[in-house]
Amino acid sequence: MTADINQPEKIGIPKEARTILKRIEADKTIYSRKLMISFFVLAVLMVTSLIVLGLDFKFMLKWLPFIIAGSGYTFLVAFLAISLACVLSVIGALGRLSRNPVINSIATTYVSLIRGTPLLVQVYMWYLALPQIGKALEGYGFTGIQAWFTLPALPAGILALGVCYGAYMTETVRAGIQSINIGQTEAAKAMGMTGFQTMKRVIFPQAIRVIIPPVSNEFIAMIKDSSLVSLMGVWELSYRAIKVGRRHFQSLEMLIMVALIYWAMCILLQYFQEKIEKHMARGDRGI
Amino acid sequence: MGKKTNPMVKATNIHKVFGKGLHVLSGVDIEVNKGETVVILGASGSGKSTFLRCINFLEEPTAGTIEVDNIVINAGERGKQRTEHILGIRKKTGMCFQAFNLFPHMTALENIIEGPITVFGQEKKEAIRYAEELLDWVGLTEKRDEYPSRLSGGQQQRVAIARSLAKKPKVMLFDEPTSALDPELVGEVVDVMERLAEEGMTIIAVTHELHFARDVADRVMIMDGGNWVEEGTPEKIFNNPDHERTRQFLAHIL
Ligand SMILES: Nc1ncnc2c1ncn2[C@@H]1O[C@H](COP(=O)(O)OP(=O)(O)OP(=O)(O)O)[C@@H](O)[C@H]1O
Ligand SMILES: [Mg+2]
Repeated sequence: MTADINQPEKIGIPKEARTILKRIEADKTIYSRKLMISFFVLAVLMVTSLIVLGLDFKFMLKWLPFIIAGSGYTFLVAFLAISLACVLSVIGALGRLSRNPVINSIATTYVSLIRGTPLLVQVYMWYLALPQIGKALEGYGFTGIQAWFTLPALPAGILALGVCYGAYMTETVRAGIQSINIGQTEAAKAMGMTGFQTMKRVIFPQAIRVIIPPVSNEFIAMIKDSSLVSLMGVWELSYRAIKVGRRHFQSLEMLIMVALIYWAMCILLQYFQEKIEKHMARGDRGI
Repeated sequence: MGKKTNPMVKATNIHKVFGKGLHVLSGVDIEVNKGETVVILGASGSGKSTFLRCINFLEEPTAGTIEVDNIVINAGERGKQRTEHILGIRKKTGMCFQAFNLFPHMTALENIIEGPITVFGQEKKEAIRYAEELLDWVGLTEKRDEYPSRLSGGQQQRVAIARSLAKKPKVMLFDEPTSALDPELVGEVVDVMERLAEEGMTIIAVTHELHFARDVADRVMIMDGGNWVEEGTPEKIFNNPDHERTRQFLAHIL
C-alpha cells in the first residue's frame, strides 16, 4: 500500500489521487494512534482506581501463586469438556440430520432440553440429583447402581459442561454440514459412495473449516463457564479466589485478581484463535 | 439372427412426480446400446436433467424400471437389495455435472483416486497409476497436484471427466457439461467427450453443443413436457424433423 503511494509513477496514479491516498493513509495512522492513546488512558484509569480503592497489593501478590495454581483445573475441565462436546456435537448433528425418526427425535430433544435449561441447574443435576436417580433405580432392583450414579465433583462438572456445550455446538456442526453445496453430495453419490463414506470423505472435511472458528469461540466461553464447577468445591481458579477472599475479608482483591487472570487467559486464547483462523484462510486459497 | 444382446441402459415407463403433483416425467422409455452416443435435446424445464438423474438414482423415479448393464431396479422396490442395486448402478455409471462438483479440498489427482480407493477399495498405488494415465488422457498431467480453485472451468470439467472414468464405468452421463463454461473453453471439454465416444464408451449427454450433437451423436432425442417428441439420427433430426415442436426448438438453438 505505502509502496504504491511512494511510487505512483510506476502504477500511473494521477497526482490528485495521490494526495487523497496520502490523506487517507495519514488519517488511518492518526486514528490508530488515537486509539492506542485511548486504550492507554483507560488502562491508567483502571489502575489508578484500584490504587484509590486502597487495594492490598501485597496481599494479592502473596496469594497469586496459590490462585494461579487453580488454572490447571480450569484448563483441565475446559479441555476435557470441550473434547466431550466436540464428540457429542458431531453425533448430535448427524442425529439432527438423520431421517431415522427415533434418532432424530432423540437428537432434537437433547438440543432443545439442554438449550432450554440453565447451565447452573444442569451442573447441580449431574452432581446432586443424579445420585437420587441411582437410588431410585436401586429400589427397582438394580443393585450397586447408585455408586455409578454418584459422581465426584470433577467428572460431574466435566460432564455437565460437555453435555451442555455439545448441545449448542450440535447446531454449529449441523449448520456447517448444511453449508456444503448439495452438488458435493451428488458427486459423491454418483461415484457410488454410501451415505457414511460421503459424510466422512467429502462433507465433513469441508464442513470442519466452517466449524472450527465458532468452536474455538466456544472454547473461550468454556474457560469462563468452567468456574461453575467451583459450585461443587473443585479447587479451580474462582473457587480459590472466593475462598481466600472470604477468609481474609478481602474479596475485592481476590475477585479482581481472578477476573484479570481469566481475562489474560482469554486474550491468550484469542490470539491463538486468530492464528488458527489465519492458517486456515491460507489453506482456503487452495480451495 | 444372432442372440440379441441386452441394451446397456434401458429405462421403461419412467415417471417422476415432484412434491404433490408436479409431473415432470411422464412415461419415458429409452434403450441405449453398448457404445452408442445419445444426445438429449429439449427446452429448459422439459425434464432432461431429471431423466438423466433418474438413471443413476440421484432422483428416485416415481414409477418405472431402470436397467443398467443388467442391474434392474423397479421404482416400487424397497429394502436392502434395492440399496445394493442402486450402488451397483452408480458404480457402473459415471456422471458429469454442469457445475463440475469437484471436491475442493482435494487436488486433481486426489479427486480422481477418491472413487477407486473409497468405493472400490483399490490399492493407492494402482489408483494413482491409473489416475495419472487419465490425467494424461485429458491433457492435464501438469495439473496433477493443483486444487480445483486454481483450475479454469474447462480444466475442472476435464478433471471431473477423468474422475468419473477412474472407476471404468460402462456408461457416462453428461448433464450440460459445457454450459457453465466460457465459450473459448467449451472446445477442450467437447474434444474429450468426442474422444470418449470414439473409444466406444456408451454416452447419454444432455448438451446443446451442436457440433457434438450433429457430428458425434449416433442418435438425437428431443424431450418436451416430460417425454420424447421425436428421435432419430442427427441428419434426420437436424435436416428433416417430423414434428413441429422439434422444428421450433431447433430454430431456437440453431
Ligand atoms: N428437486 C426438485 N423439486 C421440485 N421440482 C423440481 C426438482 N428438480 C426439478 N424440478 C422441476 O422439474 C422440471 C424439470 O426440470 P429439469 O431440471 O429436469 O429440466 P431440464 O430439462 O434439465 O431444464 P434445463 O435445460 O433448464 O436444465 C422443472 O419444472 C423443475 O422446476
Ligand atoms: Mg437441466
